[in-house]
Amino acid sequence: MTGRPDDLVTQSQQGQPRQQRQPRRRSAGSPTVAVAGPPVDYRVTWPRVVRSEWAKLWSLRSTWSILAATLLVTAGLGAVVAGTYQSGDGDGIEPVELTLLGTQFGQILLAVLGVLVTAGEYASGMIRASLTAVPRRLPVLWAKAVVFGSVALAVMFATVFLTFPLAQVFLSGTDMAAGLGDPGVARALCGAAVGIALLGLLCLGLGALLRSVPAAIGAYIGAVLVLPEVVGLLPYDVVDDIVACLPSKAAQALMMVDPGPDMLAPGPALFALCCSVAATLAVAALFLRRRDV
Amino acid sequence: MIRAYGLTKRYGEKTVVRDLTFTVRPGMVTGFLGPNGAGKSTTMRMLLGLDAPTSGRSTIGDRAYASHPAPLRQVGALLEARSIHPGRTARAHLQALAHTHGIPRRQVDAVIDRVGLGEAADRRVKGFSLGMGQRLGIAAALLADPATVILDEPVNGLDPEGVLWIRNLLKSLAAEGRTVFVSSHLMSEMAVTAEHLIIIGRGRLLADTTVERFVRDAGLGEITVVSPEADRLRALLAGPDVRIEAADGRPDTLRVTGADGERIGRTAAAHGIPVFELTPRRASLEEAFMELTRDAVEYVAHDDDPTTPQPTPTSQHATASQGAAT
Repeated sequence: MTGRPDDLVTQSQQGQPRQQRQPRRRSAGSPTVAVAGPPVDYRVTWPRVVRSEWAKLWSLRSTWSILAATLLVTAGLGAVVAGTYQSGDGDGIEPVELTLLGTQFGQILLAVLGVLVTAGEYASGMIRASLTAVPRRLPVLWAKAVVFGSVALAVMFATVFLTFPLAQVFLSGTDMAAGLGDPGVARALCGAAVGIALLGLLCLGLGALLRSVPAAIGAYIGAVLVLPEVVGLLPYDVVDDIVACLPSKAAQALMMVDPGPDMLAPGPALFALCCSVAATLAVAALFLRRRDV
Repeated sequence: MIRAYGLTKRYGEKTVVRDLTFTVRPGMVTGFLGPNGAGKSTTMRMLLGLDAPTSGRSTIGDRAYASHPAPLRQVGALLEARSIHPGRTARAHLQALAHTHGIPRRQVDAVIDRVGLGEAADRRVKGFSLGMGQRLGIAAALLADPATVILDEPVNGLDPEGVLWIRNLLKSLAAEGRTVFVSSHLMSEMAVTAEHLIIIGRGRLLADTTVERFVRDAGLGEITVVSPEADRLRALLAGPDVRIEAADGRPDTLRVTGADGERIGRTAAAHGIPVFELTPRRASLEEAFMELTRDAVEYVAHDDDPTTPQPTPTSQHATASQGAAT
């Protein structure tokens, strides 16, 4: 509805850029919240939305406590498992796998944080404020994914590269002794970090999709963690091939030095996991665009 | 400037907002009135692009809200449902919103000052009273110095001091040249703050009028005069803008519209006419509003869902706003 002739008030209020509106208002001597100095270029940009999501993430205590717990639980369990290990106990388990047993808990903690980043906004109503500020909506989801994804990746790298050497202190002299320089070990550790961070991102997508913290966590545990184990029991080879591509199995394959014949090789596993995450985020984006808030 | 063109929202069979067309102009407070459940909040959410209309559309500042490069610069909104994470401090909440538009920190400080949050700004929102939560919501609305302010039931649940503060704020925002669109289910509240009224009931537009005209049409501004020389007084008061009616069956009683108590009193005194009673009629403002919306309910009940209850304003709210008025 541009160019519609209207009364004078309208013309001066709407027909001109705000740079002219502001001085006019200030000259009237009214007590406004107008910014001192030259007009600021307020506009929504992609880096600014990322900056906002960054601020949102770190201004909640739950972020700090969940990330700290992820690191401490994983490293602590790694140390306990390693400290009580005796040669011969680990039947068919790899050294990296053994030291990273705590990631079983760590990945759930990170998944919860991923859910909170998106579904948590629906629980508090914050999403209405977020989407009023960025009514195009999708930049909010992408910014959340970028911010959470990078933080999750950084924390997981720190976690695995702290846990492995720590556990190895206890494992020297056992049949689980391994070093970062051993073939495939560094790759498996990186794979663990990337895989778990990607699972967290998947949960961020689930949270955006389901808009409820309990529903998204339930879906993660039920559909992502448990379902592959159950379906994998079916006696069909095709099913096994499909199960190997599912997110939790792909993430598991990524942290193996030598993924067995039942698991995907690191490259395909990473690809399969990225596809799952991308698909979840794409559906979440579609819903975010379409649905009322 | 807000414009709505045939806004309609249906949820399944239920039509919540039906073909609403209206304009909200800058420089004054426009009240958006209707009983609870009339569709006010839904309409406001549609204006902000949070809900998509089933049909129709709306513009703010001559464009759809979502198409503005700096939406918060155009519209500041306070929605009825809380839109704040309780785990953040007030300042962190405002700062996070400010980041999206590149709004500097000093502007965040400025709005915190303006709404009087003060040192509470660094406390977590969890412990905020309703009034403080409302102030924070308004701080968020004013963050980017917007041309239009949309507030959904801002006085709901506030104490008299808070109600008074909101009233003064609304008036000063309008005086600054902004478009101010405020919803309420209390006619008495809007009568003291708004200049223009948009009244809806069951999602339909019932009235788009000025407060002055609504008051006049409702028989408000009417003054009851009791005098033993009523006929003489009537002749003296008569004028083009003055309407005088006789009360039913009471020759000593006049109902005067268009002349205030002072003029009637002075006229009577100047001519030595005794006056026994000079009573402005006020209480009927809410009655007139309820009458208007009740009609809508009955009308809609024939072709729509008849089971939905139509709540009326609670006495608690009415008491709170009257307390603040005195």
